[in-house]
Amino acid sequence: MTDSVLSVGNICKMYGSRAAVEGLSFEVRQGEIFGLLGPNGAGKTSTIRILMDIFKADSGEVELLGGAPGQRRERVGYLPEERGLYRDQRVLEVLVYLGRLKGVDGATAKSRALTLLERVELEAWGGKRVKELSRGMQQKVQFIACLIHDPELLILDEPFQGLDPVNVELIKGLMRSLVEEGKTIVLSAHQMNLVEELCDRILLIDEGRALLYGSLKEIKREFAPNSVRVRAAALPPDLPGVAGYERQGDVSILTLDGMGAQELLAELVERKIEVESFERATVPLNDIFVAMVRGKDAVGGADRGHRRQ
Amino acid sequence: MKRVLTVAVHEYWVNVRRPDFIIFTSLVPLLGIVALVVSIFFGRQAGGALVRLFDSGSDMTAVVDRSGRFTPVLPRYAAEFVAYADEAAARTALEEETVQRVVIVPETYPEEGDVTVFTEGSRFSGSGTSGLRAFFVAHLVEEIGDETLRARLIDPYDARVEYIGEEGRTSGGVAGEVLGFLVPFLFGVLLAVTIFVSSGYLVRSVAEEKSSRVIEIVLSSVTPQQLLAGKVIGLGALGLTQIVVWIASAAGLGGGLAVLAGILLPLFTRVEVFGLALVYYILGFGVYAVLIGAIGTLGSSFQESQQITGIFIFIAAVPMMLTGVIMTNPDAMVVRILSWFPLTAPTTMMLRLPLAEVPWTDIAGSIALLLVTIPVVVWLGAKVFRLGMLMYGKRPGILEILRLLRHA
Repeated sequence: MTDSVLSVGNICKMYGSRAAVEGLSFEVRQGEIFGLLGPNGAGKTSTIRILMDIFKADSGEVELLGGAPGQRRERVGYLPEERGLYRDQRVLEVLVYLGRLKGVDGATAKSRALTLLERVELEAWGGKRVKELSRGMQQKVQFIACLIHDPELLILDEPFQGLDPVNVELIKGLMRSLVEEGKTIVLSAHQMNLVEELCDRILLIDEGRALLYGSLKEIKREFAPNSVRVRAAALPPDLPGVAGYERQGDVSILTLDGMGAQELLAELVERKIEVESFERATVPLNDIFVAMVRGKDAVGGADRGHRRQ
Repeated sequence: MKRVLTVAVHEYWVNVRRPDFIIFTSLVPLLGIVALVVSIFFGRQAGGALVRLFDSGSDMTAVVDRSGRFTPVLPRYAAEFVAYADEAAARTALEEETVQRVVIVPETYPEEGDVTVFTEGSRFSGSGTSGLRAFFVAHLVEEIGDETLRARLIDPYDARVEYIGEEGRTSGGVAGEVLGFLVPFLFGVLLAVTIFVSSGYLVRSVAEEKSSRVIEIVLSSVTPQQLLAGKVIGLGALGLTQIVVWIASAAGLGGGLAVLAGILLPLFTRVEVFGLALVYYILGFGVYAVLIGAIGTLGSSFQESQQITGIFIFIAAVPMMLTGVIMTNPDAMVVRILSWFPLTAPTTMMLRLPLAEVPWTDIAGSIALLLVTIPVVVWLGAKVFRLGMLMYGKRPGILEILRLLRHA
């Protein structure tokens, strides 16, 4: 779980006078789902294209599966944001061709394509032309197209785009099972709830630079405000160390000042107040994302150890 | 190389099965077959109808022979010539349209050679006169006992002309001279047609991959150079397939042996011209195919890509437009410039080589420039290809392309 499969060191990419990527460094470890996040135009696609050797970085180092980008194409699966398939060709034919481009022989590619089609519940559609498939079906075919050569590393740019909730669940399940098989996934997505659900670590970039990088759990903990959510019959107004109080339905949100959550809980127990639930308040990743990108610094009050400028 | 071939085979196999390719390729042979069927089954009837329209009866000539040289009519001419004893009877037959003309051969014919012909309208021309000449000659020589001499008098000679060139070698005669020019000229036409046909497929292929957004998936597996090379090979082969089908069908329908002779004769007479034409053809196709494949990616649609690449098809055809100049003065300065410029060199040299002793500097220089141009075009083409394929939306201007190329 600690071996690095992708190591990016201080890469830069300029388009004229505009910097698409500026001094970006990160590492992706074997067997994890790594979230590459950022608003539109942040430099995610440029970064991914550099990783895939579609674009060359102006400077910096990239080591992918122990080699330079482009040297390990056959071990990487890539689902780009701008994607499609040969509309007039049959599904199986397209999958076999894409497999052969990755160096897989025709018979193996066909066998894997049939297995994968079954896995995404499209086994009956292999002989159909791509244009006969619905958009969601095409999305699933695109997804399995990047698995046809059994890659070690998957780079998925917006894999949930255009999928209904049922198919989102299906793809999520597939991603989890791939990770269980030992594969590594770099995931770029705008659905923060899915990122929260799937990713172990994240990199948030904006204007080509890193804003946040590290373990998602730690980032969320660091951004968590010093407050607790308490569900109790009635809370006394004179609780020590409580600087703020807000009622949301039957839940009270208490902002603490000079007192830890453990101490407050002990105080409540001591006063024999009947507590139904007690939890640290957390900030959704979505709020962290929006606040960081907007440059706000008002999300919680913890130390910003993972913040990268 | 394996991936280049995978792309090439895929491009070829996918496009060769397209209904529009099959229809377009079959069109020429089908039209030829239709024409052949019409000419075989209806040609005679149609011809007969035409003859009947302008010619109400058979083509019979009445001969009033007062010299005694042409009667009795030799049996092999009996179907077309009939002897009449007097002029009045013959003219009556002409009025009654039993015969189409009357030939009066006077007694003085052996000394003076004068005859009088009565005919309707313009019916004494073409085959009528040549038939009459053969009739006269055949009857006149009939008196000669020597059969061989008789045959020679009827058909005096069958010439096989051999021209002695500057270096004292024979050049295969007029046919060889004509075909020696014609074959390289046809190579030039073939190059232009191949570029036209293959570029259409290339442009469509890149435009489709771009508009369907499949290109980025493909580029994650192969380099732009490999993809471009695969497309050029696969779709070049597709264009050649189409042309080979057309030529083969034309040869099959129009006489395969004549075409084969036309190709082989110059091969034996001017091997170097044929060989160089082949070299220029391959190099020319390489340069154009890569350029068109790459530039074609800059359009945002198939139609727009076609417009952009149209300029190259025009450039390829420029030497064909200047055929007159090249034929009359193959060493003119403008022709020499066109011979050196890589985009016009292949076609110009194909036209020029059979017409003149082209200085070796022009040949070596133009081939060297083409050889240098190809890797440059491939390198630049791959950059444009990479850039164009991933550029969605409106077509970039020249300045923007140049600016972006620096960063591709």
